[in-house]
Amino acid sequence: MSEIEPNVIFSIENLNRDYICALDKLDMNKWLACFNKQGTYTLISNENETNGFPIAFMLDDKYERLQDRVTQVTVIQEDSTEHYQTRHMTQLTSIENLGNNRYQANFNFSVFYTQNLVETTEILCVGRYEDIVLIENGASFLQRKAVIDTNVLPRYMAYPV
Amino acid sequence: MSQTPDNRATLEWPAKYNEVPKEVFERADLWPIELEKIFYGEEWHPVVHQSEIPNIGDYKASDLGEIPIFAVRGEDNKIRIFQNSCTHRGTTLVTESLGNKTEFECPYHRWLFSPEGELVGCPNSREFTPDFDKKNFSLPTFRTEEFCGLYFITMSDTVAPLKEYLGEDFYEPLSRILGGDGRLKFAGYQKVHYDCNWKAYCDNDGYHAPLLHLAFKMLNWQGGKGVQNVTENGHLSFESELKIPDDITALEDASILDFKGTETSTGSIVQMQFPLTVYSKHMDMLNIRYAFPKGPKGIEVHYAYFTHEDDDDEMIAHRIRQSSNLLGPCGLISMEDASIFSRIDKGNKTPGMAIFQKGVKDEYQLDLQVGQNDESGNLPRWEHYRKLMGFKRAES
Repeated sequence: MSEIEPNVIFSIENLNRDYICALDKLDMNKWLACFNKQGTYTLISNENETNGFPIAFMLDDKYERLQDRVTQVTVIQEDSTEHYQTRHMTQLTSIENLGNNRYQANFNFSVFYTQNLVETTEILCVGRYEDIVLIENGASFLQRKAVIDTNVLPRYMAYPV
Repeated sequence: MSQTPDNRATLEWPAKYNEVPKEVFERADLWPIELEKIFYGEEWHPVVHQSEIPNIGDYKASDLGEIPIFAVRGEDNKIRIFQNSCTHRGTTLVTESLGNKTEFECPYHRWLFSPEGELVGCPNSREFTPDFDKKNFSLPTFRTEEFCGLYFITMSDTVAPLKEYLGEDFYEPLSRILGGDGRLKFAGYQKVHYDCNWKAYCDNDGYHAPLLHLAFKMLNWQGGKGVQNVTENGHLSFESELKIPDDITALEDASILDFKGTETSTGSIVQMQFPLTVYSKHMDMLNIRYAFPKGPKGIEVHYAYFTHEDDDDEMIAHRIRQSSNLLGPCGLISMEDASIFSRIDKGNKTPGMAIFQKGVKDEYQLDLQVGQNDESGNLPRWEHYRKLMGFKRAES
């Protein structure tokens, strides 16, 4: 990471911070705002990723899908979900310059959840983000791919991580 | 809690066929009997589709009840299903859920098994019992049958052959979920734990679909004409036309709901095989839901998705996209099912009966003729369960 400019690290950390704060507040429009118009989001198990199986838990491969993810969470499934509070803990592990203001960034993450009315706290999932960030008029995700070691989810997952 | 004279747990079943005692979902003492009478009894259980382990030496580990098992493709290209336990002292032979091995070695005393299950090596065997013979220490297997590439096992010597057990009304639609000819390619799993008794997981019905799943309403998606077939031994099979409106305004990208279809994939099919496997084909998604009870509380569900060998790249991409976003524990049209499982589980701690209404014409008679959106189709499976468990029905 030594050749990466401090302001690049700062921008990527800031983008990640906006992202996890949006999710922990369940502000899905702020979540969407972290993505570039060419951005994609994937949530996939490490088992599938390692074995080359393409099935994901969430596969938003274009911006319209990201918009529909917001609709799914805030409108379509709002009343049937047993809602839960998340806390995302992240750790930047590497940044690589891909050229053209693009950077490959990796974070480790763990997400805790506290289910409303149950109130005990458990681990929702643990994994890594494999990101491609564009730094141009601010930073945005061209790709945020969450690969989770937690191959068996402890409950259904109502929101992205 | 009540017990029979031989100290076996029991409960009294109500006289009305549309009532199920809520305690049946909650009582931990029923689990050992369910293992013996259902999971180790006169039922067939799917374990693996051939496309999940396509190469020689590929294996998949899972469980039958509480018995660890694994399926492996041998050097002869045949798939066999074994107990996952060394024939010496019982150590498990595989610890990963999927993998590839040319031989299976127990780390404890280095006993070595071939992918065909034969014991091929055991150190210091000259010092074993005088009549020791490796041939007597092959890995125990199961009575196994294959249907469209899907392998089923049973611990029963007496249950009917698989197709007879499933019945034509069940296996014919199943063959279409399995691509018509079983020439599927495996695309991946979604695995999840649901916080409910296994019987709550598989008690979903035809009544709920248009009511629980708001996505259907929001997408202006009217259910097409269809049928529900039920069998006396508790299998259910739903089939309906797909009527997806041309103009879906609730979504920015309605292509996720495209139904491209093939000649073998008319409509929407959902099947529930007793005791707890679900097969489905909605739009272009081909799905098997293997399910594994974790004792009396909790169930792990492995949603397995497939493409077909004849698919072009566009169809593969479409199936992957649809499967990853619509079904499963995060899916646009199915996540609500998961929320119901745990809510049912909590709610069933209240006393009394769960009462089925939709489609019930006579509370004191079991009816195998049910409509597409009736919940009465679940009652034959409850009757089958009651009989297997040996619970007495009260006099009417």
